[in-house]
Amino acid sequence: MYRQGDVLLVPVAEVAVPAAVASMTAQERDARGRLVLARGEASGHAHAVVGAGRLLRVGGQFGESWLQLTEGGRVVHEEHAAIALPRGWYRVVRQREYTPGAVRVVAD
Amino acid sequence: MTNGERDDWGRIGLGVGPADRARAEAGVRAAYWQAGLPAPGTVVWFASPVTAAAAALLLTGGAAQVFADGLERETEQFFEAARSALAAQGLRAPGADECPGVREAVWTAPWEAARGRLQAELGQAAWSERWTLTSGALWPRLHGLAQRLQQAVVDALGGPEDAERPAERVHARAAVRRALREAVLGQHDAAWLAALAEDPLLDGLASVACSAGWWWPFADVVLLTERPVLLRQDEAGRLHSGEGAAVAFGDGFALHAWRGMPVPAELFRRLGEVTAEQIREQPNAELRRVMLEFYGYERFLAESGAEPVHRDDSGALWRIELEQDEPVVMVEVVNATPEPDGTHRVYWLRVPPSTRTAREGVAWTFGLPAQAYQPLRQT
Repeated sequence: MYRQGDVLLVPVAEVAVPAAVASMTAQERDARGRLVLARGEASGHAHAVVGAGRLLRVGGQFGESWLQLTEGGRVVHEEHAAIALPRGWYRVVRQREYTPGAVRVVAD
Repeated sequence: MTNGERDDWGRIGLGVGPADRARAEAGVRAAYWQAGLPAPGTVVWFASPVTAAAAALLLTGGAAQVFADGLERETEQFFEAARSALAAQGLRAPGADECPGVREAVWTAPWEAARGRLQAELGQAAWSERWTLTSGALWPRLHGLAQRLQQAVVDALGGPEDAERPAERVHARAAVRRALREAVLGQHDAAWLAALAEDPLLDGLASVACSAGWWWPFADVVLLTERPVLLRQDEAGRLHSGEGAAVAFGDGFALHAWRGMPVPAELFRRLGEVTAEQIREQPNAELRRVMLEFYGYERFLAESGAEPVHRDDSGALWRIELEQDEPVVMVEVVNATPEPDGTHRVYWLRVPPSTRTAREGVAWTFGLPAQAYQPLRQT
């Protein structure tokens, strides 16, 4: 697994990807042709993937996301060093914080 | 429905700024027409849901129950504003018999019909999926916001609940709740409209939602409200502001909140000067959490002389015991990528009180058990 700040990418075997996820409509790329995994609301900085593949988002901004890289790629961010990613499927996990009675997502 | 349209309903639901009054009123007429009712003869606009709710209470006779419990000075002002807005349109307080609500016909029936039609067309499974994709993320956010505002309206008009004298104001608060049940939520209906708005039955309701806040449909009168002038939320979609109100309307009706927790205006003004001592002494656990978050965990750790209870290659685990509350347990994490000046940014994340090791804490923040959290690379 690979961690860039508040985003964790967990490799998943292709057979373990739910059929409902694999058949979803892919997220659109941003103006720079990247797949945006998460964006900080205050800073506008983004964890974004450069490379061939698709991003599938289940339910909203903080819902679970899945990333498929067909040839490998890189995850970049304005404040973190880039990380090279081998081809394959990933579950994209946002970091969360405990608050009594609730859990909130961290967005740097 | 495309991603773009879905985003639009999110923007509509959380929108601020002046209502598009002409479009809202046209939407109201369309909704009445759709329900087989004549268009309402009188339209009255209000700056906030609290004055509109006061007007609804005046029109339906519910105000008498509110007045019977005695009025605070501030509440009286809301009713005075409502009374003069009604009078400007030639309306007096006629009482329930003369002013029946038509929410059932205008809102409930068409929405149930539209949902039934789409469910029948798609089948249960596809309908559930449609709801999850279009409304799933938006609904809790807007529902939570509407509930918080409803609570604030009940407090403002019915008077705040008194833990010492629970029987006091029961009737007044119940009357306000009844008046709120007659309201259509306008922009805050955006979540379910995201799933259903393609149905032509709902054109009128969708137009009002795109242009205004809550509204009260009566047989011959409609009360419409403006949107908030300001709305601040955190990334998780909870009302949140460290500077001024988190939501405010044109007539001064406003709510303060920190990470979703309502904060009395009086405490909010003092937050900047709160000391570690005062935090420890605050008897209300919810307010203590607000004070603690505002103060900063890091600063509180330092001033409490706390020591880390565990350390490993994931970071350090800190723990502060609080009287009559669960302890504050936090992981201290260091950014792997250095800042431009060569230092490494350190940050603290609160984790469940049961956490025993730093690795377990960091793993929890990503929803993993400690042994499963093994990053190959981190930056």
